Amino acid sequence: MTILKKVKENLFLVIVALAYIALFIINPVMGAESVKNSGYYIKEMLMIMPVIFILTALLDLWIPKEKIIQFLGKEAGAKGVFLSFVVGSISAGPIYAAFPMCVMLHKKGASIRNIVIILSSWAVIKVPMLLNEAKFLGPKFMAIRWVLTVIAIIIFSWISAKLIKDDDLPGEVLAKPGLHINRDACMGCTLCAKNAPALFEMQGKKAVVKPYKPEALDMELLQNTIKACPVHAIEYSEK
Amino acid sequence: MDIFTLAIWIGTFIFLGVSLAKDKVKTKQALKMALGMGKGMAASIFSIIFAIGLILTLLPPTEIAGYVGKQSVLLATVVAALFGTITLVPAFIAFPLVGTLVGAGVSVVPSVAFLTTLTMVGVVTFPLEKKEFGTKFTAIRNSLSFLFAIVIALVMGVMM
Repeated sequence: MTILKKVKENLFLVIVALAYIALFIINPVMGAESVKNSGYYIKEMLMIMPVIFILTALLDLWIPKEKIIQFLGKEAGAKGVFLSFVVGSISAGPIYAAFPMCVMLHKKGASIRNIVIILSSWAVIKVPMLLNEAKFLGPKFMAIRWVLTVIAIIIFSWISAKLIKDDDLPGEVLAKPGLHINRDACMGCTLCAKNAPALFEMQGKKAVVKPYKPEALDMELLQNTIKACPVHAIEYSEK
Repeated sequence: MDIFTLAIWIGTFIFLGVSLAKDKVKTKQALKMALGMGKGMAASIFSIIFAIGLILTLLPPTEIAGYVGKQSVLLATVVAALFGTITLVPAFIAFPLVGTLVGAGVSVVPSVAFLTTLTMVGVVTFPLEKKEFGTKFTAIRNSLSFLFAIVIALVMGVMM
């Protein structure tokens, strides 16, 4: 892979690095100060990030999302709203990992309102994060903000459902047959390439599906690999 | 280590222990998944942190506080919310960052608006969301989130 491609994939990182080099040349004192400032956030992050990832993965593993999904339709009412909050608050990965999953839920009959709730709670009310918020901003701050955010999400998901019709979503890009990786969701963790090297390989920072024979698929291995993907980016459909 | 961080570590380890006792294979898979998530996000997290370090040097939080303090609350809140929409920042970086700002004297209302749009609205992720959900859905969801970020912030200002 060419250097140019690597630069493009890590554009933000490259810009930040260049900014640091420039600052160190112009004003070394400020450069050192910036590194010191960053050090504080890196320390804070390292103290909490590993445990948050483990906790999110465990929640993702033990709470059966497949069962919850059946209760998210239009007629689900309050139960659907509650369950949507649960799905959003316990899920793993950044918000863009939620996009493909929510499209899938909508195809399976989840209402617009519940999808908006899942997306919003995915972004702001992750359960493991609440303790983190209490630490930096105080328990009172966290509690009030949490309650207000839940109320706000309930209101604006209701407004969204009034404004958006089901056919406003593109949706009709039905699942193509065979094995696919959603490149937008993939974050290049290499788990699938390690679990099933016969099916997946890494190309740059993303995983891709290798050419395979449909009749020779090891379904058990494939299903396990699909489940293991932290961002649920692997899709498989038979026809 | 403070009590909140300690609590979350202890809780997670108990959870991990129970999980291991119940299903070793699945738990191992969960740990691999956690490691995968960490690796996948490491590069972007470090670049965001170093960018924040740089910005806070060029624009010290106390100066931000002084500047914000001079504006009317509503204007400061809207501008803070706008800054938050530029990109999506993971919550575990957003909290200490907002903590620094509040500690330096930035008032609560603009800080909350910034925090909410920082995690919920993203111009950078707009094309991605549009591709999956269509323009109408994406525009409505993001603008309602933005509007309510300001409402949440103002109500918090009254309650805190």
